[in-house]
Amino acid sequence: MINLWKDFAVYFWRSLNAILTPPYRPKDIFAQLEFVSWQSIPIICFCVCSAAIVTIIESSFHMKLVVQNDSLVPGFAALLILRELGVVVSSLLLTSRVGAGLAAEVGSMQVTEQIDALRMLGIDPIRFLVVPRFIACVFGGIILSVIANLVCLYCAMLVSEMKMGYSNGMFITSMRAFVEFKDLVFAGVKGACFGAVIPLVSCFFGFRCQSGAEGVGLATTNSVVAASVSIIVLDFVLSYLFSFLY
Amino acid sequence: MKPQTKVGILFLVALVAVVAFGYALGTFSFLASGKELRVAYNFAGGIEVGSPVRVMGIKVGKVRSIDFQPDFKMPTSGEEVKLIISISIDKAAWPTIRQDSRFYINLAGVIGEKFLEISPGSLENPELQPGQVVRGEDPPRIDQLISQSYAVAGKILEFVNKNEGSVIETINTLNKLVVNFEKMLKQLEKTSRDPEIHKLVKNLSVILEDGAYFTQNMRSSEAQKTIALINRLIQRLEPLDGKAIKKFLQEEGIKAKLF
Repeated sequence: MINLWKDFAVYFWRSLNAILTPPYRPKDIFAQLEFVSWQSIPIICFCVCSAAIVTIIESSFHMKLVVQNDSLVPGFAALLILRELGVVVSSLLLTSRVGAGLAAEVGSMQVTEQIDALRMLGIDPIRFLVVPRFIACVFGGIILSVIANLVCLYCAMLVSEMKMGYSNGMFITSMRAFVEFKDLVFAGVKGACFGAVIPLVSCFFGFRCQSGAEGVGLATTNSVVAASVSIIVLDFVLSYLFSFLY
Repeated sequence: MKPQTKVGILFLVALVAVVAFGYALGTFSFLASGKELRVAYNFAGGIEVGSPVRVMGIKVGKVRSIDFQPDFKMPTSGEEVKLIISISIDKAAWPTIRQDSRFYINLAGVIGEKFLEISPGSLENPELQPGQVVRGEDPPRIDQLISQSYAVAGKILEFVNKNEGSVIETINTLNKLVVNFEKMLKQLEKTSRDPEIHKLVKNLSVILEDGAYFTQNMRSSEAQKTIALINRLIQRLEPLDGKAIKKFLQEEGIKAKLF
């Protein structure tokens, strides 16, 4: 366990050096960005819309149960979506989609000794594999968190109109009482941080992949679990830090 | 489609969504066609930057900034006012705001959203100049009222604590008084059940009935006549004192006719 953390610290330091120093490979970065953001958009939008529907219906049910009135639901549902739901749901989906893919990809390269081949050619595997994925995931995380949040809010607005009879104007007025523009900015920052975690953790487990199909499977599983847990812990840390900025 | 194009489209969509969100929240406004007015308060009751400004209940602008100005004095009255709230008002609503308009801070909705309400002015008064400083109506300080009531409650408590002995004594006396009163009521109840008292009450009732009968008879014409006769007799006897009787007896003797 201690070795694992020691290896991760070394790997993290080397990745940080590679990320902060050029050259970068824009073509590879855009290809990864397309994989991370463009291809993830449909599934993320679908899931956050479902989450929005559940949020509105459940909040309305609970509010009616407690205070016999659900007029505040649009406001605090919007706040919940912006501060937590939109970004966390989209990041966890990104982990299961992109993180698993990255771990399997890097793990397969490790098993088939392609990583060693890169080293033999004098190419730093971290600079070659991690940096483009890291940059793509950070920017992808920002874009996806913004789009996911706003799609989620729009869906919540539609649901509150259809289910509770609140017009769009009422939803926005109620939302304005609770939500500030910085909520979206903080969601973007969270998206970037969660996006950064996914390639770092996934590639780390990919590099440590043991030989055989079983090893690749284990690396993928471990990477998804570790990235999901990291996202949830990081979410707590960031929420706590952002609470000082309100 | 190239990956760059796809990413570019996605980036633009996100950018448009952010701008739309900012516009919906009132953070950005594209048509900044409003005129600015500065409203001075000493207490702003929790109004914030971005709070709506309404004229006759219609949203016409919002609070742009809140500035503390410790040395500011109203140009007209010279009153010291330390808080200047800059508001923007739509051009369409601007002519309704006159010199005699009033600027209130109100609450709206169940969550207590604060807004600045402007009452429309009368046509006789001139319009305000953009950027002019006007005095707002300070909202009532609910917190102050609460703190004052706390102070009163504290003083009552202090009084009770200081005069604990006498207060307790008063309460004990009151308690005794109540006990005695209760005893008295019980005694009264017992007494009312006594047959002697019943007899007494019955007799009293008979007396009262007789009295009523008597007074009723007194009101008859016969009785009135008798009373008038007695009255006249008394009037005639009025000058009759000791001397007159003596004189009468000495001079008239017993032969005198009385009437």
